[in-house]
Amino acid sequence: MSEESNDENKIEKITNEVDSNVDRESGEIPELGLSRRDFLKGASGVVAGSMIGGGMLIKGAPAIAAPESKTVDIGFIEDLSGNLAIYGLQKYHAAQLAVAEINQGLTLAGGPVGVGGFASMGQQAKKPPLVKLNPGSGEIETVDDGGDATESGILYGEADDILIDSGEKGLLGKEVNLMAPDGQSNNRLWQQLSRKLIQQDKVDVLVAGFTSAEREAIRPIVDRSKQLYFYTNQYEGGVADEFTFCTGAVCEQQVIPVVQYMVENYGPRGFTIAADYNFGQLTAAWVRAYTPLVGGEIVGEEFVPLSVSQFSQVISKVQSAKPDWVMTLLVGQNQSNYYPQAAAAGLKFPMASTINMAQGYEHLRFNTPSLARMHNAVNYMAEIPTARNKAFVKRFFKMFPKDPYLGQMAQNTYFSIHLYAKAVRLAGTTDQETVRKVLESGWVVEAPEGAVFLEPGTHHASHYIRMAKADEDHNISFVRDWPTIEAWWLQRLGVNLVRHPEHKQYTPQEDQFFPMLQKMASK
Amino acid sequence: MESVLSVLYQFGTNAAFLLLSAIGLIVILGMMNIINLAHGELMMIGAYVASFLYHSGVPFAACVVASFLALALAGVVLERLLIRRFYGRELQALVVTWGVSLILAQGMLLLFGPFLASIPIPFGSGAVGAFSFSWYWIALIAISLLLVAGLWFLYYRTAFGLRARATMQEREMARALGVRTGRVYMLTFALGSGLAGLAGALMAPTTTIAPYMGQQYVAPAFITVVTGGSANVIAGALGSTGFLSLAETPFTIWFGTFIGIVAMLLASLVLIRLLPKGLSEWIQRRWLS
Repeated sequence: MSEESNDENKIEKITNEVDSNVDRESGEIPELGLSRRDFLKGASGVVAGSMIGGGMLIKGAPAIAAPESKTVDIGFIEDLSGNLAIYGLQKYHAAQLAVAEINQGLTLAGGPVGVGGFASMGQQAKKPPLVKLNPGSGEIETVDDGGDATESGILYGEADDILIDSGEKGLLGKEVNLMAPDGQSNNRLWQQLSRKLIQQDKVDVLVAGFTSAEREAIRPIVDRSKQLYFYTNQYEGGVADEFTFCTGAVCEQQVIPVVQYMVENYGPRGFTIAADYNFGQLTAAWVRAYTPLVGGEIVGEEFVPLSVSQFSQVISKVQSAKPDWVMTLLVGQNQSNYYPQAAAAGLKFPMASTINMAQGYEHLRFNTPSLARMHNAVNYMAEIPTARNKAFVKRFFKMFPKDPYLGQMAQNTYFSIHLYAKAVRLAGTTDQETVRKVLESGWVVEAPEGAVFLEPGTHHASHYIRMAKADEDHNISFVRDWPTIEAWWLQRLGVNLVRHPEHKQYTPQEDQFFPMLQKMASK
Repeated sequence: MESVLSVLYQFGTNAAFLLLSAIGLIVILGMMNIINLAHGELMMIGAYVASFLYHSGVPFAACVVASFLALALAGVVLERLLIRRFYGRELQALVVTWGVSLILAQGMLLLFGPFLASIPIPFGSGAVGAFSFSWYWIALIAISLLLVAGLWFLYYRTAFGLRARATMQEREMARALGVRTGRVYMLTFALGSGLAGLAGALMAPTTTIAPYMGQQYVAPAFITVVTGGSANVIAGALGSTGFLSLAETPFTIWFGTFIGIVAMLLASLVLIRLLPKGLSEWIQRRWLS
């Protein structure tokens, strides 16, 4: 499918891989012991000869490998049926695209410092372009280009072609195989499936999980088997787990930008409507803690059970609180009914979110103008009008022409699988402990959203965050950019999984930081 | 004034939601005593029919009528193929209808994907002072009352209703008196599934039209019908929707949505404990006899 494979980027890619090794050797590698040697032994297979300078001898210590498999097996569980299939199918298709690309000999650009670009002063349009996705053709159409370039600012160049030649078809001479059973939106089934994939199929990596409940259902199984595991969803944050890599955006990356933007542009009074479970409660706690810091206040909160689909009472409550903006953290298809119902009841408050549109594409599903004035600080939406993303969206819809959307978590899944492949190629083995150590070497991968940095100590990723805004016709514009926001909260708590392995999820209640903010706000 | 209207509106929408969720089940569970777990999926198909027709240019009102007819027809097929083998075997009927619900929901997902195009909510919004509301929900409140009135008329004022009630109460005796009970069962089931389809179509604009959308209606429908009881299903359904929304509405206003739902469930629990045969038996004893 992708004809974008281009030879001219080959050189760049090799440079990156070489760079990465040099960095690895001169940098600190604490407590690696045996596996460090394994790692080096493996790495040598890929970039043979490039690493002699480090004074390391490659010898002995055979890798403790499982019986040789003819394929590299990626265990992949998502909900392909049931209530959550709308998200699971997007993620599954994105995983298929990534695996197909790896098997064709393609990889995403990246390495320890990333590709980078140059910046210079230049002229740009006064307004951001207004765009819309046409899923039929896979084109991102410009509705309004934002006018003439009359404003001066820093223009930042980023590589347009992120998909480059990997130098081999598949991984380490093997074909990559996606084993993707259906989780059926059923947590108990998730446990069975993950046990089977880990213990029976002995997958080399597990990529799985939409809801936090699903992740927490399988994480104990992952930990017991020391299974290398990627959780690619946007979530409430706090998972500090030796074996888990969380590549989606978390609260500190999304809540603070969106709350700040809403207070600055619409006024101080916010009202939160959140799904009444783990994710909604914790994200609402972040909103409550941070709104005062940017000069606003939360005048009301309403937690809605996931089964609720009729919102007239919630709507009346919002109305009587008279907020300047409404934070909607609504999850699942029942709760998304809030938007058309609120629009029909005449609610015109600006809305903010960290999930809607980017995941369940509500702006394409609901009639206009239900989602008008919706703001979301996203790490990805299919509408991002950069050249690299346009090419990615085209590739995706070429492979899956009938799909309705390509969302945030699908993109996370896509770059995570590519990232895994890059790490394996550098490690020269699929031995899970070795690959894990390689992933902990400070990777940047050039994802469709922009450069993403996988922070070694917390196993979380920095993201390119954009403020997406929907207009009356549900066209999207990105009204503010934060090119890199780190997932810093676990660092604040002192989590360093490289030095102190742990296997838990922290909550805001465990951090005196949150009561402290509350106290400051009440003054 | 505004706040009184607002509370009344909240009460009315809660009651209408319960009544519309339950309307098909009132007939199938309340009268025929079939624990129909595919009730939500019948509503889902009603919404699908409405969405397909609406987006091929049919006016919304006609879509709703068409959904009723289509689902009544589907009810006939379902009854002839499956349900008629399970009369008087409630638990087996429960398992069978559960299987049907799984097949219908997953089948829709495979056939039409995770979502269907939504229908815009008709009529727009009105406002009294700072309180604004959706005219469509006002219409739904009125329609749900009309439907119950129609159902009452059919079952208590027509020859068909008389035969149907006779069949449900004393099947053998009704047959001995010349009532074609098999046909009455078939028509009653068709009416129940037709009403479920109609309610699904009416709800369609307010909701996401998706394969698993039916699940949101199943629990409210069962709670409403069971709390109402079967002595007089129509009086029971009216009484229980009024009673349950009376519990839910103020608690939601004071303590939030979750506590509102807890209050509603507790109210039905207490009521069933005190009146095991449901609200309708008490209404019947008190006022109707």
